[in-house]
Amino acid sequence: MSPIGQCLAAFVFGSVAGLLVQRSRFCNTAALRDAMLFKTYRNTKALLVCMMILTIGFTAFITVGEGHTMHFDVGVNQMLGLFLFGIGMVLAGACTVSTWVKAGEGNVGAIWALLFTFIGMFLFSLIWSYSYWPPAPGSMDHLPHLEALQFGYANAATLQAKTGIPAIFFGLFQFLVLFGIYRAILRKEARMAEANT
Amino acid sequence: MELFKKTLDPVIALSIIALLDIFMFLVVGAWTVGGGETMMTGLIAKFFMGDQLQHIPFWDIVFKPDATYWKIYISLGMLFGSIVGAFLSKEFYWRIPRHLSEWVMITVGGLLMGIGIRLAFVCNVSTFFGLTPEMNLGGYLSISGIIAGAWVGSLIYKKVLGG
Repeated sequence: MSPIGQCLAAFVFGSVAGLLVQRSRFCNTAALRDAMLFKTYRNTKALLVCMMILTIGFTAFITVGEGHTMHFDVGVNQMLGLFLFGIGMVLAGACTVSTWVKAGEGNVGAIWALLFTFIGMFLFSLIWSYSYWPPAPGSMDHLPHLEALQFGYANAATLQAKTGIPAIFFGLFQFLVLFGIYRAILRKEARMAEANT
Repeated sequence: MELFKKTLDPVIALSIIALLDIFMFLVVGAWTVGGGETMMTGLIAKFFMGDQLQHIPFWDIVFKPDATYWKIYISLGMLFGSIVGAFLSKEFYWRIPRHLSEWVMITVGGLLMGIGIRLAFVCNVSTFFGLTPEMNLGGYLSISGIIAGAWVGSLIYKKVLGG
């Protein structure tokens, strides 16, 4: 697909996603924060259902060699980075999606959070230019480099290549784990509703 | 139109988004936001700094500013879709945080999100709607990080609200 076609597809997808998120008031931050703080699971259930559909969809296409998987090596930086991100999104009251969506509703706090997300990214670019860690995508070779706290590259496609088992089977296993969590939430909600009556 | 009169069930909304995300996965790549935001940061920095930006290796090696980077348009699309949804449902109005503590939390939160995304190479969207459904090892590392971070953030949030 040409770069213009890619940008157009991305804009159409983003527009529909933004509209649906705005109309449903879905928030990824709330999916985690509300489950932890308030024991409410409205957003958590939506997150889990979405992940279940995506797991089956992605691994089914990976099985037949289709789809554009994310290609970069992973390591401790993913854990540390998302740890900082997790603190940040709860403090800001919005994640990457809801900052854009709330900004579109006229939320000045969300616009401010976006501005400082950009500033945070620029600050990190200065730190990276001094430390050169984590390794740049161009220097990644998909192998583990424990001295750099990097574990290499592994996903459903590499699992299929190494074991000979179709990726969809691993996807079904992950689907069942996610479904188990979803069902546990439904049961918990039923118990809470029973206790309140 | 009914869609703009009452709130949509998030399970239905996210199920539709999941199907569209599978289509995106086939044509260009799964839903992500952090990469586009980084490119926007680079383009804004280039606007202000010009060729001086090339002296910062990150913007030469990792993210060369490029306005045709498709991920930028997911974010711009989300903003557009949200504005349309907010206006048609009459939910658009300016909301301004009232307390200094809110401004401080949003500022610190925004900075941590920006630093965290670049340190991890991924955001929450890539974590939940890209990497993990692809069963990428990075997805599991990211999920463990974001859950721990959200827990710590919730403790801080609770303390600030309680205070």
